[in-house]
Amino acid sequence: MKSLLSAASALAIFAASPITPAHAEEKSAWRLFVSDHAQPIVHAIDMETGHKIDTFTIKAPTSLYRSDSGRTVFALQGKGDVISALSSGISFGDHGDHGDIDVEAPKLLDISFEGKKPSHFVDHDGDIALFFDGEGKARVTREADILEGKPAIREVATDAPHHGVAIALGDHVLVSEPNAEKPDELPVGIRVVDRSGASVGDLHECPDLHGEASSGNLIAVACAKGLLVMSVGKGAPAIDLLPYAGLPEGKSTTLVGGRGLQYFLGNYGPSAVVLIDPKSENAFRLLELPTRRVHFAVDPVRAKFAYVFTEDGSLHRIDVVAAKLDGSLKLTEPYSMDGHWSDPRPRIAVAGDRIVVSNPLKGLLHTIDAETFEQTADIAVEGRPFNLVAVGGSGETH
Amino acid sequence: MLRKIAFASAMSVITLTSAWTASASAEPLKVVASFSIIGDFATNVGGDRIELTTLVGPDGDAHVYEPSPADAVSMSKADVVLVNGLQFEGFLQRLVEASATKASVVELTKGVEPIKMKEEHEHAAEAGSDHHNHGDLDPHAFQSVANARIYVRNIADAFCAADVTNCDIYKANALAYTAKLDAADEEIKTTVAGIPEDKRTVITSHDAFGYFENAYGLTFLAPEGISTEAEASAADVAALIMQVRGDKASAIFLENITNPRLIEQISSETGVKVGGTLYSDALSKAGGPATTYIDMMKANIGTIKAAISGS
Repeated sequence: MKSLLSAASALAIFAASPITPAHAEEKSAWRLFVSDHAQPIVHAIDMETGHKIDTFTIKAPTSLYRSDSGRTVFALQGKGDVISALSSGISFGDHGDHGDIDVEAPKLLDISFEGKKPSHFVDHDGDIALFFDGEGKARVTREADILEGKPAIREVATDAPHHGVAIALGDHVLVSEPNAEKPDELPVGIRVVDRSGASVGDLHECPDLHGEASSGNLIAVACAKGLLVMSVGKGAPAIDLLPYAGLPEGKSTTLVGGRGLQYFLGNYGPSAVVLIDPKSENAFRLLELPTRRVHFAVDPVRAKFAYVFTEDGSLHRIDVVAAKLDGSLKLTEPYSMDGHWSDPRPRIAVAGDRIVVSNPLKGLLHTIDAETFEQTADIAVEGRPFNLVAVGGSGETH
Repeated sequence: MLRKIAFASAMSVITLTSAWTASASAEPLKVVASFSIIGDFATNVGGDRIELTTLVGPDGDAHVYEPSPADAVSMSKADVVLVNGLQFEGFLQRLVEASATKASVVELTKGVEPIKMKEEHEHAAEAGSDHHNHGDLDPHAFQSVANARIYVRNIADAFCAADVTNCDIYKANALAYTAKLDAADEEIKTTVAGIPEDKRTVITSHDAFGYFENAYGLTFLAPEGISTEAEASAADVAALIMQVRGDKASAIFLENITNPRLIEQISSETGVKVGGTLYSDALSKAGGPATTYIDMMKANIGTIKAAISGS
């Protein structure tokens, strides 16, 4: 069963103890993996020093995703028709009474997943599902097998190429159902298939499906009229529609899942985000933002907080318990949301006690102390640093 | 151990800085109970003087519970937070931090003589599995009625500290409820005495009945460890099947909080019929046989005896 307590926060607890075996040393390591908006490269940066460790050349400009374990970073190259896998070089071992950290050099693995227009990466407890829009197919594998260099891949096909998503849950895969009449439009639902590819139960309707996230044992998929919320146990997932309630006309199309607290944070119109607590009577709480939203992320260590960057160049801290913005910090020049959706704009990642915001037009990564919410040092990165993920934590070395 | 020490330290800070001030207000005491069994204890002690929120409800599994922002809001408004302790509520520390509660967080196992987790599962934890560790002490102390009395006493003390005005009511309620616990304790012992000694080994899903075993003289075997979060190893399951085939276990039971698949597999492979459902870490929903703690303990021993008698 997946726990909300992230590896990072679990290890922070280990780190909080003043007592360690005499032969063990406490060590922290955080790395940022940063893609460039225009170049087919991924930088690995040591957050402790701000220095670049390495730069990896891939096929095309990429978006980045990290696995739940943090051991693997996936580079989805939509225009390169390939997904590359990188070893972060940081791994943890949970030994019950303490956690070990192992730090090695990051590397581009000799494994890639080819297919037309890769669009979505989803990890659930090490089950990796990669969706390729141009084929309407998902490729499912295990992170452990990828790291061993021998990924067993199984394909889950749908009826047509479409902008879809798949979620692998042990014996089952949840996969988007294309719009049969207009497959170039958004999917119309979620289908559960077993290992043989056979459907389990009926189609779960979800018109305009776009946006997926998990939080603990819940997975949410955003639809036109609400969220499909899937409860993951040890059998087939239970799936229910949570209709939008108490909100103005609109919908979410992007979701992120809380860590440490079970909730979802979604977009809702251009200048708002919505906090979603599926177990609460008041499931949806809307937060209006001062200007249009650029990007948002949850804090995996400080469960109470999430962050949203707005086009006026400000980073805002969201108190997800009180459902309010409790701090704002001007970081960059304005980044207008006018223009193409994929223009270079800031992205957020949380690396332990630091929040990192990319500033692609200035070639900078801004860092913010997550405890004080005050800006600290900048890290200069050549080109246009864009997408970023953080990997790391604390543990013992022997 | 390190995580446990860090957690205990955090809890001490919470207790020391909390407002243990007497309240003469007519407002009911706002109480948060971490799970349903503690909620029942709190109801019996607090009566209508408390406004109770229970986080993990009936048939819920506190081992893997995922707290929500609404839970954090409840915590932030609470006067008293009642928890089991012994790392039973893995979610507690992050919830306390997220809520920034100023309430007294009271560990009800204070004063209980803790027992260690069973050896085979301790070794499994030491072997460094991927699963989270829940310490080397068994947190399910409430599975002995003698320990339930300690829980109740601790609750009365906590309520008195937070609400001096109504302390006499809390103490009287605790006394009356303890008398009911004593009667239930005797009833369980009498029932167990009627089970042949060579038939007192049974199988459940996870190691939740160590205190029951110590208090009442039954032996419980389980493929999963102290926490339902840990999966049973194939070797554990195979060993249990061997024991059942060797006629060393008299009955096999489901639990209300766990997936039945593993137990059904053992039942299928051994031919031993599943003897019913035991209530391990949570009460039953309304209409079930274990909507209160006392009913839960009676239902469990009743189910065990019926299954063994029919075996």
